[in-house]
Amino acid sequence: MSAEVRAGRTSAMLPAAGGMDPAITGLLKTALEKGVVDAVLLPMEVPSGDSFAWILMKDPALAGDARAMAPVMPVQGALALRSLTRKGEGSLRVLALMRPCEVRAARELSKLGQVKTGNLLLATWDCPGAIPMKDYIADPAAAQERFAGMLAAGEPLAGGVKPSCMSCIDFSMTDADLHFCTFGGTGGSVPVLAGSPEGQRFLDSLGLEAGADLVAWEERISEKRDARLAARQTAFRETGGKVAGFQGMLSVFADCIGCRNCRAACPICYCRLCYFDSETAKPDPDAFLDAAAIRGGVSLPANRLLFHIGRMTHMSLSCVSCGQCSDACPVDIPVADVFSFVGHRTREAFEYAAGRNDGLPLPLRTFEKTEPAGIMEQVRDAEPGGHSHD
Amino acid sequence: MTSIAMAIEASAAVRELLEWLLSNGRADAVLTPRRSAETGSCDLALITSARDLTDAEPFQPVMTANAGQPLSAASMSGKRLAAVLKPCELRAFTERVKREQGSFDRVLTVSTVCDGVFPLERVAAGELDRLLPGCHESASGGETASGVRETCAACEGFVPMNADISVSRTEGGCLLHLHSARALERLEGFGGDRIEAEPDREVLARMLETRSAAKAELFRSIGGSGGLDGLVDLFGRCVGCHGCSRVCPICYCLACDFESAGLESDLPHFQAILAERGGLRLPPDTILFHLGRLTHMSFSCVGCGMCSDVCPAGIRVAAVFRRTGEGTAALFGYVPGRDVSEPIPVTVFKEEELGDIG
Repeated sequence: MSAEVRAGRTSAMLPAAGGMDPAITGLLKTALEKGVVDAVLLPMEVPSGDSFAWILMKDPALAGDARAMAPVMPVQGALALRSLTRKGEGSLRVLALMRPCEVRAARELSKLGQVKTGNLLLATWDCPGAIPMKDYIADPAAAQERFAGMLAAGEPLAGGVKPSCMSCIDFSMTDADLHFCTFGGTGGSVPVLAGSPEGQRFLDSLGLEAGADLVAWEERISEKRDARLAARQTAFRETGGKVAGFQGMLSVFADCIGCRNCRAACPICYCRLCYFDSETAKPDPDAFLDAAAIRGGVSLPANRLLFHIGRMTHMSLSCVSCGQCSDACPVDIPVADVFSFVGHRTREAFEYAAGRNDGLPLPLRTFEKTEPAGIMEQVRDAEPGGHSHD
Repeated sequence: MTSIAMAIEASAAVRELLEWLLSNGRADAVLTPRRSAETGSCDLALITSARDLTDAEPFQPVMTANAGQPLSAASMSGKRLAAVLKPCELRAFTERVKREQGSFDRVLTVSTVCDGVFPLERVAAGELDRLLPGCHESASGGETASGVRETCAACEGFVPMNADISVSRTEGGCLLHLHSARALERLEGFGGDRIEAEPDREVLARMLETRSAAKAELFRSIGGSGGLDGLVDLFGRCVGCHGCSRVCPICYCLACDFESAGLESDLPHFQAILAERGGLRLPPDTILFHLGRLTHMSFSCVGCGMCSDVCPAGIRVAAVFRRTGEGTAALFGYVPGRDVSEPIPVTVFKEEELGDIG
């Protein structure tokens, strides 16, 4: 990947003697002052001090109070971008600084026409993972300290981050318009990569010193990625064993209460009206009782497992493994583990990667004669003992 | 009132009653909480055959869903049901029936004095077996079982208001009090001694005292600074998932306004706010959603606590809604769920009303 980075992208150095976070927010503040962009989307601490919210800011003073890298992800950034651009992008030039999985989700939504990226400058940073909401709310100060440690170490802390972050291999995503190499921020500066001509123009207009030594950073990223890849293989193996077959799925989702928080937190779930909320899906009370007689009782609310399978069918190809579903689950079902695992397998079948800047269409929106064959091979491989999970 | 004395524990007695109702054609289906003997998972189930009642735990202090919600649809079938409901589930169902989202016509309701329920998070963490012992004993002694939802500890509506059958525990057994003609008719022929008995009011008075004190404390604790700043303090962490409204047994709109396309804004709208204030929160309307929901449903809020239990941001939604609801309902001298013939205040128009507000 070193060659790829050097070949396709240019870099600059952002002085960061006072720390990486203030350096990045400071740069964005300057960008607002100089009119390089019209607004910036950044996390900002809520007044109660125990969470963060996405704030779209035009006033440069606000950027000074914002956080470039929030320890938590209360709302997936793609959802903030969706609410902003769903009805069209207009003339407002916005820079959004987000975690890589948030930018990936935004790209998937843009393929679905729910985020308009034409006037967006998407910026990312090397992410060590996000702290679970419950942990953060319980003790924000301790969580901030833990996060600072993770950022410095360039890796997630087992038991201290959302489980999906432990096995995320796309934590450093250099194909965004701008990428802050926060795992390489040594010697009082942060390397910044431009991944597009727009990103390059942004850097140029702020007069950052061009050229950064990326060798150490690249090595570090590659080492961290290897560790997370190993964690991911382990996670997939474990999850694959748990969800095998109908009984496996039933037991993983046994405690589901049907609140649909997973769907609401999901940045991908794209249906305007979820089938499971539609009139069609409303159980006919009489059919219900017939089913109860056959099955020895109907568990209410009905169709809870079917809901998860339906959701999986719709969105797992685009799943960016952000872990928001698990974090929002009131009964601690490892939803994200299951969806990441299934998504990975379905994407393999279609040779698709969610959220890359590769211009590939969504697999389910294209038709290829040969596709089902590949899938059937996958199904055969998925038979017990038929393959290793990666 | 006419009561049936049974020499077995209340949950077992109700299981026996449900079995009898199904076996003797007095109910086509029963709605009851369950706990799987195999996995330990709790749920709510509609059961049609007596042999499938083995996992039924009628008075289990767990609420996976406020039963008033799923009972709505089930009660609209032509079948005769029996439903075991916690008092707040019965109140919620009553409120739904008032909005024509359910019917009492063929439903026999069974309830009991409620000890409160344990937060779902704790149940899911496998703590139920540790929490259960002594939970009922402490409640009937006038104490609140430790570890129940905070709205349960502060609930003054723990006595079922309009059940067909209420169950009270006695030394060595229980009493089934038959409150309605439907109860007398459906239970005709059901074993046990018919006696004249009343629930023990003294115990209930002790419980009420504890819970009223807890309620006052709960309401004080979410007092906040009031006004918009107070709301921002309370709801600032909200992630906009609307889980609170989905599990609310009262939220009655078939399509929530806050999920409609009409409330989505285009860029010029956001640009105007940016120009005026310099910044805005995305997704927007965080506080507005809660205010809207309060406007719609606080009159009918039964304080079940489902909303707090599912909140991924740990917001004490139920405490806020309960407190507001008590205030709005009091304006109209209204008690949600008390009587199905009492109309919901906002559904009736009186020429002279609320003079002191306007």
